[in-house]
Amino acid sequence: MVSYIFRRTLMAIPLLLGITILSFAIIKAAPGGPVAMLMDPKMKASDREKFEEKYGLNDPVYVQYFKWLGNMAKGDFGESLIKRGTPVSELILNRLPNTLLLMTVSFLLAVLIAIPIGIYSAMRPYSPLDYTFTVGSFLGVATPNFWFGLILIMFFSVTLGWFPTGGVATLNAPFSLWDRIHHLILPALVLATADLAALTRYTRSSMLDVLKQDYIRTAKSKGFKEKKVVIKHGIRNGMIPIITLFGLMLPSFIGGAAITEKVFAWPGLGQLFIDSAFQRDYPVIMALTVISAVFVVIGNLLADILYAIFDPRIEY
Amino acid sequence: MKKPAWLLLSLMLVLSMFLAACSGGGKTNTTESPKGETKGTEKEETKNEGPVQGGDLVIGSTGAPTMFNPLYSNDASSSDIEDMIFSQLMGSDIGLNTVKEGNLAETYEASEDGLEFTIKIVENAKFHDGEPLDADDVVFTYNIPLSPDYDGVRKSYFENIEKVEKIDQYTVKFTLKQVDAQFPVVSLGFGILPEHILKDVPIADLGEHEFNTKNPIGSGPFKFSEWKDGEYVKVVANDDYFDGRPYLDSVTYKLVPDANAILAQLQAGDIDYYAGIPQPDVPTVESYADAAGLRLESGLALSYTYLAFNQRDDKFKDKKVRQAITHAIDRKAIVEHVMAGLGEVAHVPESPLSWAYNPDVPKFEYDVEKAKKMLEEEGWKPGADGILEKDGKKFSVEVKTNQGNKVREDIVVILQKQLKEVGIEIKPQIVEFSSLIADIDPGVWNFEAIVLGWSLGIDPDPSGIFHTKEIEKGLNFTGYSNPEIDVLMDEQLKELDKNKRKEMIGKIQALLAEDQPYTFLYYPKEFRAMPKNLEGYEFHPKAQMYNIHKWWLKPE
Repeated sequence: MVSYIFRRTLMAIPLLLGITILSFAIIKAAPGGPVAMLMDPKMKASDREKFEEKYGLNDPVYVQYFKWLGNMAKGDFGESLIKRGTPVSELILNRLPNTLLLMTVSFLLAVLIAIPIGIYSAMRPYSPLDYTFTVGSFLGVATPNFWFGLILIMFFSVTLGWFPTGGVATLNAPFSLWDRIHHLILPALVLATADLAALTRYTRSSMLDVLKQDYIRTAKSKGFKEKKVVIKHGIRNGMIPIITLFGLMLPSFIGGAAITEKVFAWPGLGQLFIDSAFQRDYPVIMALTVISAVFVVIGNLLADILYAIFDPRIEY
Repeated sequence: MKKPAWLLLSLMLVLSMFLAACSGGGKTNTTESPKGETKGTEKEETKNEGPVQGGDLVIGSTGAPTMFNPLYSNDASSSDIEDMIFSQLMGSDIGLNTVKEGNLAETYEASEDGLEFTIKIVENAKFHDGEPLDADDVVFTYNIPLSPDYDGVRKSYFENIEKVEKIDQYTVKFTLKQVDAQFPVVSLGFGILPEHILKDVPIADLGEHEFNTKNPIGSGPFKFSEWKDGEYVKVVANDDYFDGRPYLDSVTYKLVPDANAILAQLQAGDIDYYAGIPQPDVPTVESYADAAGLRLESGLALSYTYLAFNQRDDKFKDKKVRQAITHAIDRKAIVEHVMAGLGEVAHVPESPLSWAYNPDVPKFEYDVEKAKKMLEEEGWKPGADGILEKDGKKFSVEVKTNQGNKVREDIVVILQKQLKEVGIEIKPQIVEFSSLIADIDPGVWNFEAIVLGWSLGIDPDPSGIFHTKEIEKGLNFTGYSNPEIDVLMDEQLKELDKNKRKEMIGKIQALLAEDQPYTFLYYPKEFRAMPKNLEGYEFHPKAQMYNIHKWWLKPE
């Protein structure tokens, strides 16, 4: 197992390098630059030269890439070109807690609701309640986050006044745990909806497969109660594909919530990523890309390891 | 048989939830909408009660600031904050006149030849750390962009300054390279930086210095207090402000990146003030303003929207054709339908708000018959399909505009319909903004006609966009050239007498209107929402925070 993890980690290195080369090339191919979009009759193109020279923006792309890679190897993400002088790592660390909080809560919410629903649907397939859940989850998948978020804000925040309209905490108020939770509920709900829908469907179909197995029938025919059979024998096996899904969802902890963050003015990494992309803040874009790529690799690895833990038949 | 019933029921449940939410949003619409400009009557009522000190004002913004140093930042949100933290030598009033009142200059004198400006600054200005602001700070600030090490993007704003000298502790003298009527507007509006804090920082490192992001210190009405990235910037009243302590205790500049969400926050009362309401949303905001404790103030924005013609194209070389096209466009209808009536038809590239605006220029009103006749005189005859033809070529034009701007996208479609009346075929092309900008870059000029907007400066100089010398490298992307106007544009920049300059600029505007390098479409109206009880507010078209130290909240 240990040697497997080691091998996989080694294999990830060329993969990550490839990702950085590709994303660097794509970002640089986009028109414009951090100060190139200004259209002001009082300004001349020559006004930008000094800035561009200082940050090496006029060097050939490969030179820029190797410079970046060299710093990166030393663990230095560089400084923002827009918030000049601010280390990229500081920008990211400022926002990381917000994103992790939102993603973890919404993910737990999704899991806690989706798995029981999925199991129930598998136990009573084609029942009225199963159909309701099915329709619900299709709606959940089909509803765009920004729209759902705005509807929730209009209804629960503006009309009813039950929840704050956005942000992580009340302005100009001392820290309070309830206040933080209060602000978290709506965005977490919106994010959970999409995951929830997918998770419900996966759980249902996976459980359905398992419950058709011979050993389940054997257990039932031995006279065990249905509940006991499902919980003891069904869930453990039915959860294996779901674990893969968890691994694949992990990278979205970093970048997946941009739209929801925007609607709820949630100062997270997704928003940072979008802002940097529009402002052509290359070091920030690259740092976030690398981090997401690392998370994809870790997520996959984690899924494989969990697989082995849950399924004794799998060995590496 | 049971299945469909369940399906339907659950669907209806979900749908009704959304419907409830939608109508819920509009429930507050019953109260009458407040009027935009109600200041006259309100002032009388408050005659006896003086301004009251206190309160926090939450200002909403969809853009996030980047840094607080006027010589280096280049976005609107940063300058909103800078306007509160820093003070400048000269500013502009709501009539866009350059003024010293409320700014650091106490007296302002130009020499006979117009090359030297002596400015005495107020003696009671202090930086937020208690150090007095004097001539050394002014000289220090202006020497930054004059230095070859300066790497900000504002160099051209100062290129005409030869040197800045200290005369005595509170007097400075600017020497210019050549006479420049724009000098006070363009160069004297920058916030003064504290010499005692930054003097040892090499100018090459100033752009990255943590003063800009962590601890900006100015002499403005508000002191920097806190910046939570992606959340808000907070500033608190400066008790020692030279023009008097602000009435507000603090201002919180709240960042809400989503344009729809920010309107919801306004309605819910989580934002008190928002200046960027899109015109199509104005009726909605008006409908809930009263219930939400808000009022709207409006005025013309300092900008105009236009249809520009690439004059390298044979079709647009003749001004008669351009005039005919303007005749064929019903600009009133465009304002009415696309802008919900919230704008005014434009005839020149200058706002009616400016002191240099000339209302008496050739106007090409909507007149389809006249347009047809003029085009016929130019040799354009209707072909078999009704489209005009000349020398076997059809009058077919590709009109570009940027994606994501709903108003402009609609305008192009209306143009297509209106110009069809005279036999001109329009092919709309909606292009992503940065590639559209690349299309009009000098040397590229990949367009036939384009719908865009210009935001105008305080100074009425039009040469940045219409001077022949701006074709090769500047923003005169249509290739318009008129030697007579070039001379006038050069001369007005050297004219220091405001009245004479006004006359000259007026003449330029009349000539531009005659030449129609653009069809000037309209000046949009701008709407700002604020608390009903906000007093002391004046609508300045360029500075949404104009005189913010005089704003106060009337107790209810």
